[in-house]
Amino acid sequence: MHPFAYERPGSLAEAIALLGRHGAEARLLAGGTDLIIRLRDGSLRPSVVIDLKRVEELRPAIREEDGRLSISATSVMTDIAADPRVRRHFVALAEAAAVIGSVQIRNRATLAGNICNASPAADTAPSLLVYGAVVVAAGPAGTRRIPIDEFFVRSGATTLQRDELVAAVELPLPARRIGAAHVRRTRRRGHDLASVTLTCGVDDAGVTRLAYGSVGPRPVLEVDESGTLADPGSTGEARAGVLERMFLGASPSPRSMRASPEYRVAMLRALGERALRMALDRLGGG
Amino acid sequence: MSRDGVGASVTRGGGYDRVTGRQRYVADIHLEDVLHVKLVTLDCARARIRSVDASAAWRVPGVRLVTTAEDLPRPMPRFGPQFEDRPVLAVGETKYHGEPVAAVAAETRDAAEEAARLVHVDYEELPAVVTLAAALDPAAPLVQDPALRPGDPFATTNVLREHRVAWGDVDATVADLVVEHVYAFPMVTHFAIEPHAFMAAPDGDGIAVWSTIQHPYWLQRILAKLLRMPLSKVRVLAPDPGGAFGGKQHTKYEPLVAFMALRAGRPVRLVLSLEETFQAARRASASVRVRTGFRADGAFAFQDVAADYLVGAYADIADRVVSKGSYPACGPYRVPAGRVVGRGILSHTPPSTAFRGFGNPQVNWAVESNIDEGARALGIDRLEIRLRNLARRGEAFIPFDTPADGDWEQTVRTAAARIGWGTPLPPGRGRGIAIGIKSGPTTGLSYATVRLLADGSVIVYAGTSDMGQGARTVFAQIAAQELGAPLEAVTVVMGDTAVVPYDAQTSASRSSVLMGTAIQRACGQVRDQLRGMAARLHGIDEAGIVVERGTVRLPDRELPVLDVLRRGLGRLGGELIGNGEMRKEEEPGHPLGGSAAFWEFNCTAIEAEVDEGTGDITLVRHVTVSDVGRALNPLQVRMQDEGAAIQGLGHTLMEHYIFDDHGRIRNLGAIDYRIPTSMDLPLELHSEIVENGDGPGPYGAKGMSEGALLCVAPAVAAAVRDATGAVIRELPLTPERVWRALHGEPDRP
Repeated sequence: MHPFAYERPGSLAEAIALLGRHGAEARLLAGGTDLIIRLRDGSLRPSVVIDLKRVEELRPAIREEDGRLSISATSVMTDIAADPRVRRHFVALAEAAAVIGSVQIRNRATLAGNICNASPAADTAPSLLVYGAVVVAAGPAGTRRIPIDEFFVRSGATTLQRDELVAAVELPLPARRIGAAHVRRTRRRGHDLASVTLTCGVDDAGVTRLAYGSVGPRPVLEVDESGTLADPGSTGEARAGVLERMFLGASPSPRSMRASPEYRVAMLRALGERALRMALDRLGGG
Repeated sequence: MSRDGVGASVTRGGGYDRVTGRQRYVADIHLEDVLHVKLVTLDCARARIRSVDASAAWRVPGVRLVTTAEDLPRPMPRFGPQFEDRPVLAVGETKYHGEPVAAVAAETRDAAEEAARLVHVDYEELPAVVTLAAALDPAAPLVQDPALRPGDPFATTNVLREHRVAWGDVDATVADLVVEHVYAFPMVTHFAIEPHAFMAAPDGDGIAVWSTIQHPYWLQRILAKLLRMPLSKVRVLAPDPGGAFGGKQHTKYEPLVAFMALRAGRPVRLVLSLEETFQAARRASASVRVRTGFRADGAFAFQDVAADYLVGAYADIADRVVSKGSYPACGPYRVPAGRVVGRGILSHTPPSTAFRGFGNPQVNWAVESNIDEGARALGIDRLEIRLRNLARRGEAFIPFDTPADGDWEQTVRTAAARIGWGTPLPPGRGRGIAIGIKSGPTTGLSYATVRLLADGSVIVYAGTSDMGQGARTVFAQIAAQELGAPLEAVTVVMGDTAVVPYDAQTSASRSSVLMGTAIQRACGQVRDQLRGMAARLHGIDEAGIVVERGTVRLPDRELPVLDVLRRGLGRLGGELIGNGEMRKEEEPGHPLGGSAAFWEFNCTAIEAEVDEGTGDITLVRHVTVSDVGRALNPLQVRMQDEGAAIQGLGHTLMEHYIFDDHGRIRNLGAIDYRIPTSMDLPLELHSEIVENGDGPGPYGAKGMSEGALLCVAPAVAAAVRDATGAVIRELPLTPERVWRALHGEPDRP
């Protein structure tokens, strides 16, 4: 491992100041499940690692406030998957958090880290897109709120500025009843990277939100406001037609060794239908 | 059955230490003053090395040695278990992705890694052959320099060697149905949990080498030759490996670390990463063409098998894998005419080596699958066709080899019963059944020493490597049984060539049979000495004395061994020492150099369900039944069979190397090379043991440990076909491959 300086700020202001001072030379450490691997393999060689785990304002916390659930930057997947409020209002996020990596990884990996890494295969991304999450970015000029759909750019790139860090991810508590489900495709049942990751959410007004990842440079959100997908009376053909249009945004890489483009697209269809069915069942079952 | 003697399911010795991290593996041993070694490799498979500039590496603080080909004796020392073809460091040209060009030794691992990065190798990438088709193209570059293969008729090709076995006249045999297909088996790696690790230190006027090696004495021989030292000056320390599966049988980087330690005058250590391990050891992939002739009643008329194994750039033990693996390709069946041609094809890939099953799973996958094809075409039940052709006890199914040495029908019927063969299945489910056979050791030599100490406790010296198969436990059970000592009073010493007598190798599931017999014989010598003692003490003839299970029986009474021992040893104390030897000599003229000491025989039956939307296979039930002669420790036998069965699911369902155009392994490491996890196991896994005491080993034991892996793939593929109709002749059966077969999409490599 290449040597680096290690900083452990106690406050958000201190962390932001360090980030400002070191700029591109700095890397933020929360769970470390992506960073440590890249430090070890030498693909990242920062001169400073800024550990966020002791930042008072970022302590692990899932708080309900002002009609939203706020998940702090150091909250880990295990806690998110187990949180009763997440499970009640955002079950597809709980499901996604519960399948990331292995138990050991989930005990360390953070939601903020998952989205900042901006892997197209990030399992929490589709659920965050479906639930309309907002990223709270803290920087020298204060905080700003970025809708999650405007956060992802492409693999490894987000709209977060170099001098900003993610302080929290906020989920607006749904005004309507939503049935939702997260499903994914992997090469084996044990922990694996997803070759398709997908969340479907249907609300009681008939709007279906479908988000999917690992089939292009960034996760994609599509919304069906026609009610076709949510309508139990629609024909299979009609539903398939709508789903097909929703998957037009998929552009899987032909170079991937995890799955071919045609398989990924076929799995989008298969998983899309399954997730829709599960979401409708859950909506119906309350 | 005694509480802790032979036949008892005593808990594996050392098992707890292994899973709690208490066992000291090679990588856990810290030598004073040690230097850390990092290999320098290139980012392609094949390259002409123009020059190596290590000046920047030398400037890294803590660097103490940079070794290149220039720093080694000339000509470059080469080694290998069969052919001395592998250089200590690449000289002139690299031949596979990961072949070391240089090595750096430094005070810390970080410094070694940093310096290795800074060794500048000026090279020109050359075209590499990494597939059978490319290697066999007449225009293909030659992997091995013909100058290194004098007198070899294949020297101007990439064929390493060709092995032919035949009986009857295949070409003249008439059949009612001939089925011919080609089957592909993937390149996979052993994935032992313990990293391969190598250390060397100057040791007086000799050298000490620590290695995760399975065959310490073979390594000792190779090192002695390379270093021009007598065997007595080369001490190999081989702590129990943490999983090996054949991947640790043969010499890899021990010569390099030995040269470096001698040059540095200090101990050096090299612990491979998982990625480096992928580049150091793997199983040969294969393409197997099978032509099976059937009579209308399902009897086999002939088997005609041509197996090409893709071996690496250096032979390692691959040629033996090809010959011994392809040899029983026709299976444990009555085959009037059989012909098997096995070829090892050199390529610019990491050297392939031994791997549990030793070349057999490749041909077994093909031949068992082809039998199913014939059964379907003839409308004969797939179990029935196997039973109809199966060799019965004593039948010489390979005319010049050991006849069938078990009641094999019993094994097959047990598996069929356990899977519920012939009973109705829910829709979407299917069953498959397959039979695996493998020749045990064809030659062998094991010595054992047993010391009965003054208090009745026992030390066994055995040169076997216990890499998790439980040899220590079984050896202790044998000694406990033979000398009547409690198991907890038996210590087994292994893994040090300066202390433990010679053993040829730990391979081919041999140790219980060969070393077990040597230990039995050593115990016999101790018992003879006890009889002598009793005769002397009691003034009677030895002929009237029997020593059995801890008791010395005189004509008129019985005495505990300890009583005779104490009085016999007298005031000076001391001990009794026995030596045992077990040989299996070469048989000149035999295609393998010797007939099978025993046959490993297994029948695997699978019930599977397939998700036609995604191609996911669920193994509802996996039954594995092995004929082991006698289970010296039934718990360990089951653990071995279950481990082998699960390992077999790897190449069956998900494991394979993927290469790019530069001959680089794309899925180097655990992220994109997937092995089964506990989540991927069959919903039910049943292992059964057939015991008829008909093996050549102690108490009628046969070797076991590989059988349950042999025929997993054909059984699973048959179940998938039974469930869905999907015909797949290439492994692994990934969800995508199954989906493609079900949806008429062409397969992709």
